[in-house]
Amino acid sequence: MTTVPPKISLDSYPELHAFDLDSAIDHIAHWLPTQGPIKDFIHHNTLHAVQHYPFHKGVAVAAKVFGARSYLPAADYQALYRQGRIKDFAIDWAIAHSGYAPEKYKELREKLFADSTDHYPPVSLANHGIRNNWLTRLEIDLNSLAHPVLFRLLGSFLDQGISRWTLSKDGESFWDCVWRLAQNSLLPLYPFDDPMVRELLNQSANEVILACLERIVGSELLYEQYLLEMILAHPGWSGMVRLIELDPKALLERRQISLKEMIAVELAAELAILRKKRGVDFAAIADVPHASEIPLLRDYEREAIVPLVLKVWHEAMEYSLHSELLIGLKSQDAPVKAKEPPVAQAFFCIDDRECSIRRYLEEVNPAIETFGAAGFFGIDFFYQGFDDAYPVAQCPNILTPKHLVMESNLRPDLEKNSVTEGFSDLHIKPHSLFRGWLYTQLLGFGYAAKMVWDVFRPSSQLLKIKKLSEVDAHTHLHLLRESDELTEDGRLLGFSFTEMADKIEALLRNIGLTQNFAPLVVVVAHGSSSTNNPHFAAYDCGACAGKPGAPNARAFAWMANEQSVREILRERGIDIPPTSHFIAALHNTSRDEITYYDKHLFVNYPSEPLQIFQETMQQALQKNAFERCRWFELAPQSNAHDEAHEHVMARASSIFEPRPEYNHSNNLYCIVGRRTLTRDLFMDRRAFLHSYRPESDPEGQLIVKILSAIIPVCGGINLEYLFSRVDNSVYGAGTKLPHNVIGLLGVANGVEGDLRTGLPMQMIEVHEPARLLIVIEQTTALLDKAFQLMGPALKEWLDNDWVRLVACHPDTRELFFYHCTGWEPVELPVDAVAPSASHSESIFTGRHATIPVHLLRRHA
Amino acid sequence: MMDSLLLACLFLPMLGILMIALFGNNEKKIAALSFWITHAMGLSILTLLVLWALGGFHAHEYEWFTLYERGDYRFPILFFLDRVGAVYLFAIWVVFSIIVRYCRNYLHRESGYKRFFMTIFSFALGLNMVVLAGSIDMLFAGWEIVGISSFLLIAFYRHRVQPVRNALRTYTIYRFCDIGLLLGAWMGHLLFHESDHFSNLSVLFQDNAPAPASYPALMLMSLLIFIAASGKSAQFPFCFWLPRAMEGPTPSSAIFYGALSVHLGVFLLLRTAPIWSYHTLPRIALFSIGFLTVIIATLAEKTQSNIKGQVAYASITQVGLMFMELAFGLETLVLVHFLGNAFLRCYQLLVSPSIVAHMLRVEGAIDTNPDLKKSSMQSYLPVSIRDTLPEVIQNTLYVFALQEGNLELLVRSVLWTPLKKIGGTINHAKLSLKILIGACLFMPLLLTVKTGVIDSSYLAVPLTLAMILASLSAFSQKHGFTAVWNAVALSSLLAGSAVLFLHPAEWTDIALFTTGIIPSWLLGILVLRKLPKKENFSDSPFAYRAMAETNPGLSLLLFLSFLGLVGFPITPAFIGEDLLLYHASNHQYSWIAALIAICFVINGIAAARVFLRICMGRPSEICEVYQHE
Repeated sequence: MTTVPPKISLDSYPELHAFDLDSAIDHIAHWLPTQGPIKDFIHHNTLHAVQHYPFHKGVAVAAKVFGARSYLPAADYQALYRQGRIKDFAIDWAIAHSGYAPEKYKELREKLFADSTDHYPPVSLANHGIRNNWLTRLEIDLNSLAHPVLFRLLGSFLDQGISRWTLSKDGESFWDCVWRLAQNSLLPLYPFDDPMVRELLNQSANEVILACLERIVGSELLYEQYLLEMILAHPGWSGMVRLIELDPKALLERRQISLKEMIAVELAAELAILRKKRGVDFAAIADVPHASEIPLLRDYEREAIVPLVLKVWHEAMEYSLHSELLIGLKSQDAPVKAKEPPVAQAFFCIDDRECSIRRYLEEVNPAIETFGAAGFFGIDFFYQGFDDAYPVAQCPNILTPKHLVMESNLRPDLEKNSVTEGFSDLHIKPHSLFRGWLYTQLLGFGYAAKMVWDVFRPSSQLLKIKKLSEVDAHTHLHLLRESDELTEDGRLLGFSFTEMADKIEALLRNIGLTQNFAPLVVVVAHGSSSTNNPHFAAYDCGACAGKPGAPNARAFAWMANEQSVREILRERGIDIPPTSHFIAALHNTSRDEITYYDKHLFVNYPSEPLQIFQETMQQALQKNAFERCRWFELAPQSNAHDEAHEHVMARASSIFEPRPEYNHSNNLYCIVGRRTLTRDLFMDRRAFLHSYRPESDPEGQLIVKILSAIIPVCGGINLEYLFSRVDNSVYGAGTKLPHNVIGLLGVANGVEGDLRTGLPMQMIEVHEPARLLIVIEQTTALLDKAFQLMGPALKEWLDNDWVRLVACHPDTRELFFYHCTGWEPVELPVDAVAPSASHSESIFTGRHATIPVHLLRRHA
Repeated sequence: MMDSLLLACLFLPMLGILMIALFGNNEKKIAALSFWITHAMGLSILTLLVLWALGGFHAHEYEWFTLYERGDYRFPILFFLDRVGAVYLFAIWVVFSIIVRYCRNYLHRESGYKRFFMTIFSFALGLNMVVLAGSIDMLFAGWEIVGISSFLLIAFYRHRVQPVRNALRTYTIYRFCDIGLLLGAWMGHLLFHESDHFSNLSVLFQDNAPAPASYPALMLMSLLIFIAASGKSAQFPFCFWLPRAMEGPTPSSAIFYGALSVHLGVFLLLRTAPIWSYHTLPRIALFSIGFLTVIIATLAEKTQSNIKGQVAYASITQVGLMFMELAFGLETLVLVHFLGNAFLRCYQLLVSPSIVAHMLRVEGAIDTNPDLKKSSMQSYLPVSIRDTLPEVIQNTLYVFALQEGNLELLVRSVLWTPLKKIGGTINHAKLSLKILIGACLFMPLLLTVKTGVIDSSYLAVPLTLAMILASLSAFSQKHGFTAVWNAVALSSLLAGSAVLFLHPAEWTDIALFTTGIIPSWLLGILVLRKLPKKENFSDSPFAYRAMAETNPGLSLLLFLSFLGLVGFPITPAFIGEDLLLYHASNHQYSWIAALIAICFVINGIAAARVFLRICMGRPSEICEVYQHE
């Protein structure tokens, strides 16, 4: 959906050349957040703008520009040390890797434990650059005057359905629209009624920008700097405009807008306000004395200093946490060969929330085998559900699907219930003046009752908005393509058998399941239901671009069951026996419920494995709910699984619950390898697990394919959580509680605030912000070969340490850290042994913080 | 029994604030405390209502004790419960219990948990006080408490500039409308003397009785009441503040701006109905306010692209309709309408985050699918009238709606800009010039008084003038925070001395007033002195200095000083203010009372601004100096 942001580099700064507006806008636009409309939530590296720097340098540059914290406060790290989560050996390791002179190690170590006062974030470029300095001199709070005007115009223009009246006309650009309101209205549009500015608006956006800059800034050398500071004063809206400009498809109701137009409108508004408030001859920026002493962006980039003490603490914390897994991997017993063929196999998403449900499934019934793969199960398509107004992409946002799949109803008697004309929605319907008058008179008391009900009996779900993850499954997917004609949008309607076989084969080879199929293979997608939550998309499957993965699972099961597909697969060496059947299911991660799809076909399947699986799953879900409850302070304190399960269900349907679940909080590991590597580990729901058979990938192509999906998806999730946690008010969206939904585009504080990007506080508050550790079960030699095949954009993540990578030798389990300079053998303390336990519950009962990796000695 | 229940309705929330302040050191305790207090309060409200109903729905008055008495001035603590109060009390019980339960989970782990519950209890206290008040003075006290708690909840997220700015905006409007109530209270004393109790009003205005006051006096008093009511209920021309006040946690917006606070204007009108409904002209004025509001707010609602703004304007529209209904005297209908609107808007705000899911999954089907669009209602009806208008009219309508009738610019340019301009001129003048002008004005008068040519009360005139100048100077002062504090105190003291010259015999009342003002002022100066010397305020007058975060103790002291200075009912200055107005109006220069009231209001705004600049904001490197001082 979004392109990889090009790099910003020092030498390409155009100040030395003549000012060129377009390239200047391209430069400054890289600093903007790239979060799309809230309906689909795509996790990405919050600091993609500085991804070409090594991690710590990039963070420091961004901290200066945005005025954000770089790390947690020192006191937090010291507390973690006291709790034993940061180990001494990790501090030694971090100091040794800090680039400090060895004779000063001791000194540095002492500094770590010095009493630290709370560290405050640096002042930001946007708030303390040339623009602010100048405004202070003029004694005018320009932002508070210009922003409401701009935000209101933008909000009305881009609105996706909240406003009763639509501002934009078909095909009209933002600039034309503002022109229309300013010039062709009997009432003046404040502040564009200033005669000179009104005259100016008749010119093109380009000319307006240059004219305003000349008057406001006065020196071409500072133009770009001014524009940057101006748009960074409201990064949310600027970023949204830029994103829509680059990808108009991100909106359902298309709008034509560009960053340049937004800048032109904003500058014209600023000029008009300044002329109104400070007279026509106000001082320009170039006239302000000492203006040259104020640091510019290039100074920020050059001079950003990495706070050494905090950096060492952070690295020590990460190394401690990472080594918990590495120790666990090392101290495992040799894997036992499987004795008997599995009863059932289950595919799960790599999502860290599925990590524990897989553990429980295997714990309850060892005859069930589980696999992990990206949650779109290798099938990328646009999907339009039965009740859906529009098709949505069901794949990671790096792919653009070519196929469209529609859902139709199996029972023709069921009307398409698109318009709910019930009393339950009256509070959302538009009310005309007099109807509103009547309704408030008549229905007000009803709402009192409804409120009482919702607040005191939350689980009874009166506020009923069904999400995809809850929709009943009595429908049918049109998967098989009947003609090669393209749809209006240029998509293929369904798949051919060969295409199906391609998709199925690719996934099965990826996860290394090409033989020994069980009689029952369950493809489990996941989604999450929540109430009263504008960020609902961020709780769904990241590999499906923030949607529940049910359509993909259903498509996969249907295709893998199809005889024609199986025949093609057989020719290609994957023999799925006729006794094996695939079924699709959806795991609701917030309610811990499972929905099975296409149940009418179940009669054809072997009943015994199905029953075993369903029963096992039910137990696993209860245990999973119980394990999740340890994070919820208001959950029942008993040890009863059913109470815990009831609690998580109530959570997902309470209108006053801002935390239906903690979704990816505390994600930390990503393990690509056979299940034997992780099967006996308790990883506290912190690992993304992807199945991979090292021996089936002699050329390294598979691992490149896997990495190209998991680095942006899991790495993006990880870094978005990390930065939102480190500075929730700058990188994150702040607390959810005052959020106001703006135009169905995003959320803001209050009615005229900037759009908030990043994750809200209620999603990240318990997160331990550490970078992702990817462990690949493969030899370093083969990985070196594989990395040659990798694109530079992907390589950047690894080489600049935005994710950490460790290779685990498939046979010896020797571990090697990846650095851009080469592999470093991981040297763990000799006496380090992972703690062990006989079953999961004995590990976490009564504990509230994150838990180190434990060995599960189930048979001991 | 009923009397003690009345008292319980006030003391329980007060107890809540106190208990939470003292013992609420963790979330669990605060939650438990607020649970018990809320239910105790709910129980007393319910019992009170039941007893009142069993007693035959008669209006009930209760005088607890006289707080202050001197000459023919009395300030009794007086309560009054009738049909109107009972309906409001019922709504308070329902909404408040729901919101407290809702917030138990919703605010879980929020950093301002304690602050939030303390503020919400002070809101309940203010509300109960307003609803149960037996006289306009008591009502004013409650009104102030509601105003301050509103102000604190809007600025709840003090890290961000915008909530802080909007808190000030709302407070400014509230303060301005206090002029209406302050002067209304003063006129009440003036016109009805002892009988300004709500229980007596209807008797006073009985059909066969002679009019208790002259036509212009009643007209003026009605207008003052309308100003107060319009401000609190966001009616014309003050509609714009309500959507902008939606900055606090969603449930607080729901209880304040959806349910209860926004209907207080209607309550005031219901309470004072005998006064303004006596003549037809005020009724017409009230109808016009409602009518203008309805037009502007319905249009403004159409172009709100955010959900809370939309609900806010929908609510304003309904309150406008209530004003119109009141103008026709349909009191019962208004009460039903109030309940309906309060519950509906409260619910709408609480579930407003659901709008995305709702629009995409349910409504999305008709709004975004062109095929469905045609087949729905629209094919039978002509396209909306708006689409058939010529483009220029369409644009005009849109601009009007988008700018919400330009009310904010209007209010700003009529009310505040002139004051700022004058104040700015004063501040730019040199000190010597000020003294010179002051002396020129004062000396000749003093001399004439000394020689006995004219009465000493003439001296009050230059003092009043000086008071206005001091207030205006405080209002437009941008550079020195201490200067604002000094100017505010000076203005208050000048007001006191002006009254002293009018009534030299009443010096004890004026002393009572100063016992509230002077300690508050000194406290403020002390706090301001503690601020780091390094900081040069004039260098960054617009920066917020985040003292609430870096030094909460000092910030609390500054807050108390601020409350004292603005005559909040925690110091004797509150009664003092009332006394000043009372005495001033008992003189031939009764217009001085009006000027004093205006100055108090301006002082309040100036002091609030300083408080926000110093205490709110996000700590960053600039604020670091504060911590080590």
